[in-house]
Formats: sequence, structure tokens, C-alpha cells
Amino acid sequence: MKKSLKIIAALLFSCALAGLAQDSTEVIVIPKTTTHIVPISVSGFSGEADAVLKFDLSVLGLELTNADKADYLVSGTEDAGRLAGRLKQGGAGGDIFARIYSSGTSRSQAHAFADDIVKEIRGTPPIFQSRIAFCRKEGANMELCVSDFDGHDVLQMTHDGSLVATPAWSPGGRNLFYTSWKSGYTQIIEHEAATGNRTVFAAYGGGNFNAVPSPDGSKVAMILSKGGSPNLYVSDRNGGNLQELTHERDEASSPTWSPDDREICYVVRSGRASLHKISANGGNSTLLRVGISGNLTSPDWSPDGKWIIFTAGSGNFTLWVVPARGGEAEQLVAGEDPCWAPNSRTVIFTRQVNHNPVLSLLDVPTKHVKDVGQISGSCSQPAWAR
Amino acid sequence: MKTLSLVSIVFVGAALTLGLTGCVHKPNKNFTVLPDRTRPSATQPATPAETNPGPGTSIPPPSDVQKMPDGSIPYGTNESPWTGVIKDGKPDATILKPDTVYFDVDSATIKKTEDKKLEDVAAFLKGHQADALRVEGNCDERGTEKYNLSLGEKRALAVREYLANLGVDARQVVTISYGKAKPAVEGHNEAAWSKNRRDDFVVLIPKD
Repeated sequence: MKKSLKIIAALLFSCALAGLAQDSTEVIVIPKTTTHIVPISVSGFSGEADAVLKFDLSVLGLELTNADKADYLVSGTEDAGRLAGRLKQGGAGGDIFARIYSSGTSRSQAHAFADDIVKEIRGTPPIFQSRIAFCRKEGANMELCVSDFDGHDVLQMTHDGSLVATPAWSPGGRNLFYTSWKSGYTQIIEHEAATGNRTVFAAYGGGNFNAVPSPDGSKVAMILSKGGSPNLYVSDRNGGNLQELTHERDEASSPTWSPDDREICYVVRSGRASLHKISANGGNSTLLRVGISGNLTSPDWSPDGKWIIFTAGSGNFTLWVVPARGGEAEQLVAGEDPCWAPNSRTVIFTRQVNHNPVLSLLDVPTKHVKDVGQISGSCSQPAWAR
Repeated sequence: MKTLSLVSIVFVGAALTLGLTGCVHKPNKNFTVLPDRTRPSATQPATPAETNPGPGTSIPPPSDVQKMPDGSIPYGTNESPWTGVIKDGKPDATILKPDTVYFDVDSATIKKTEDKKLEDVAAFLKGHQADALRVEGNCDERGTEKYNLSLGEKRALAVREYLANLGVDARQVVTISYGKAKPAVEGHNEAAWSKNRRDDFVVLIPKD
């Protein structure tokens, strides 16, 4: 009796499924998962396109597996300078999209396809054709480099035989701001990325560090010590109308803007280093409560405004993320000096591999880490063009 | 007709580009460094001295460096007797090398053990009025670059204040931070770190 009941149940179930399949207007949609590793398979590609797809997808915590275990199937071909790509649901699922990519190189087509795949699965905006800047050790010196986010096409931007530090992009990635020691003292340099034209943005007495343009491009925050102690200053985009925002005896460092340009989060070392916020117009500062103690440094505010990621520790650094209004910070992975991608989900940071700094990419919700293996050498202080 | 319009498009495009940028630039090879934009407001004096006349040869402009209530000593913006040597002087890192000052971790406080060195440095500066001093602040590797740049600068400024409190003219002393970029000792233990948390002294001697 039981056996026949089971068979009837199975028959009814498969009829129901068949009924669904025959109803062409109803589609079973797998919800966009954000916090889990998602198994995915990639087939049909070779060479650069294959390598690009596999790297990009893994950056967003999509784990390569065989088709029979995958939630999503990526397939396609390259032919006559065009990439044809298809994303399907795993199992008996249907197509999600099929698209042809015809402009640009094989790499850029694969990046565009990967961005579309990620948009379907993670719901996040594109990042795979964006750029990063970073500092690279050259002997006893440091020079500024830019590259694709995945470390391809590295371009050395400075050849000063000196030190550089704390690069930051202007919104849209047109200009880079960084501190250079080429004059014998610290100066903030403004450097037009496409042309190489440079001007001295700030060269006050004392230290000139860590210039960061505001998200709307109208202002620049920076750390200057011309007042006798390193403090947070804000100027107009052309360097004029300089305002001293903090007046700390023990010093300020690492400003980061809220995406609405209204506030700056920064570090003050009074006893332990802690995180603070202040209005971009000045006034009283408030402590950012994060629920942990220790040296808290190098914050970065996510472009969607929701999160502040920062570094904790002295030497054995770990990354933590906290809601931007404050709260209980969550521990992420070992690493330092994080910078959000435009998607407010991926972060580039520095991690130590046998005491050598390398650049690495973190998928914050899954804590999945993918090194930027394409870049060799000692690299640090990454900044993502947003 | 087609060729004509193409040419005119290129012409207009080139004219626009020239107009917007002022000249044609080679990408990423030659750097054009325009004059400093360091004058923040109209209160700056507009008379840069061509050469440093040196103390004793003319009356130097008044010091615009005042100690703040909290002890900080800002940088002045007026010319000082040391403006020239700070810009162009020959650096000598050996004269005051024995006086390198060391710091505790995450601290810019000058320890009692370092007092004697700073008295030595102060005496040197008072006795060598044509020279200037560059204080170079450094950190161990256990902070991020952003944190260490500020901490190194604070360490250098702490020495500048200390020397001023010993009667040295603050305008004779300038600071620079290297963060963790110039360790004195390579290594990943306290023996190395303690040697890297330091201020080095570089005497700037007039070229002539």
C-alpha cells in the first residue's frame, strides 16, 4: 500500500512540475544570493577569455565546479573577434540571458560578459573593467602604478627615483592625488592619468599626506601638519579655501568621505587609534562606535554609504566592517588598508605573504579572497577608481 | 564631399583638444610641473627672497611662529633666515647621527632617556646659526602606511617642539616623515622594530 502511495505522490509531483514547465509565462527564479558561495561552471572558452571569466567570477565568490554541481552554467564561444555568451540556470533550468559582445578586445569582452553574469547572480553593478592605483617598491624607492583591477596592463606612473604614498583617485578616475618625496619634502601631487601632466597640489610646511577628493569632486580632504600637528584639512578642488577641521594634539590620519560628501571618517591616535566622524564643514567630531578595541586605522566608506571597512591591529592586521552609522563590527580576513570597489561589495587590500605585501581582492559577504596574482613584487596602498 | 567633412571633423576635434588642454601631451612620459599652489590666501607676503642673506648680514624678517596654547608650534609662512638653507642646503646625516631619538610603540612622547641627546642637538643648532636641521620621523612596520605617515610626522614635530623649548628658533628646524618606508634595521621582531621607531637628524649646511 505504502509503495503505491509513494508512486502516486511521485506521479502527482512530476505532473505538477510538467504543468509548470508547460506554462510558458511562469519562470522559477533562483533568488539573487548575496552571502553564500555559489557554484558555477564555465565551458566553451579558451585562452584569455576563459582565464578572465574564471578570475572575475571567483572574485565575487562564485566557485568553479562541474556543470552537474553548478547552480549556474556559463557557456559560449569566441569567433571572428566577437564573444557569444550564455548564462543558464543549473540542473533543468532555462536560459537567463544570451548576448553577443563585439567591441573591444577579447579580455574586455570577457570582462563585460562576467559583469553581466555577476549582475544576474549577485545583483551588483559592474567592476571588471575598472582600474586600480597602487604603490610598488622599486629598490629603496616606491613608485606609483595603475592597472586593470585584476593587475593586467600595469603602467608605472612615476619615475622619480623617490618615495610615493597614499594614492587616491578623483571621481571618475581622471586624476590621481598622491604624496611624493621627490622634492626632498612631502608634497601632494595632482597627476592627470591620461596625459601624465602633474601639478603640486599642496606643499605647506611640514607634512602633506593622504589627499582624498570628495565623491562629487568639489573638495579635497588631506592631512597637513603645518599647524604644528598632523590634522585633517579640507580645501576646494583647486586647493583654495583651506579649512582646518580637526585640532588634535595627537595626530589625525586617513580621511575617507561619505558618498554624500557631507562627512569625513578619519583616525585619531589618542592612546589607541580610533575612528571618528566630522562634518565636512567642520564642527564637533563624534566617535564611531565599532564594538572592538585596539588600533583601528585606515577606514574606507562604501560608495553606497552603508559600510565602513577598516584595519584593526598592530602588525597582525585584520579587516573589519561596521555599519556606517556605527554598531558591532564584523571580522573579515587578515589584511590591511582596504579600499571598496564601485560595487560596495568587493574590496581591494594589502595582505602580507611572508612579510611581502601583495594586493588581494575580498568578497565581503562570503569573505572569499582572491590575490591579484598578475602583479609581482611588493605592492601596497591600493586605491580603486570609483 | 565625404573626405572634406571628415577632414573638417578632425580639424574641429584637434582644435577643441588644443583649446581644452593648451598643448599636445605625450602620455605618461614627460611630466610638466607647474608652479606650486601653496599660497592659501591673500594674507601671504608676496616677496620671496632670491638668496638667503644669512644671519648677521641683514635684519631678518620677524618670526611669525608662535607656540600655541596646547604646545604645538605651527610652521610660519614668512621668509626666515633659514629658508634658503632649508631649500638648498647640503644634507649631512652623520654629524648628529649619535643623537638619533628612539620612541616607544605607537608613541610620539620623548622619553627621559633621550633628553641628553636633544640637549646636544640644541647646543649644536645654537652654535651653528647658519645651519638648519631636518628631523626625519620614522615608524616600525606594525602600522598601516597612512597611520605611520602621521605618526612619523608627529614624532618629528615632538622633537621640534622640545628643541624650541630649549631655546632653539623653531624656524631653524623642519620635519619630514617617512612612515615605515625607511627602516634602519630589517627584521620582524622587537629588536628591529625598536631601532626603526626613531627620529634621525640631518643637518642642512649652506652651499657656497
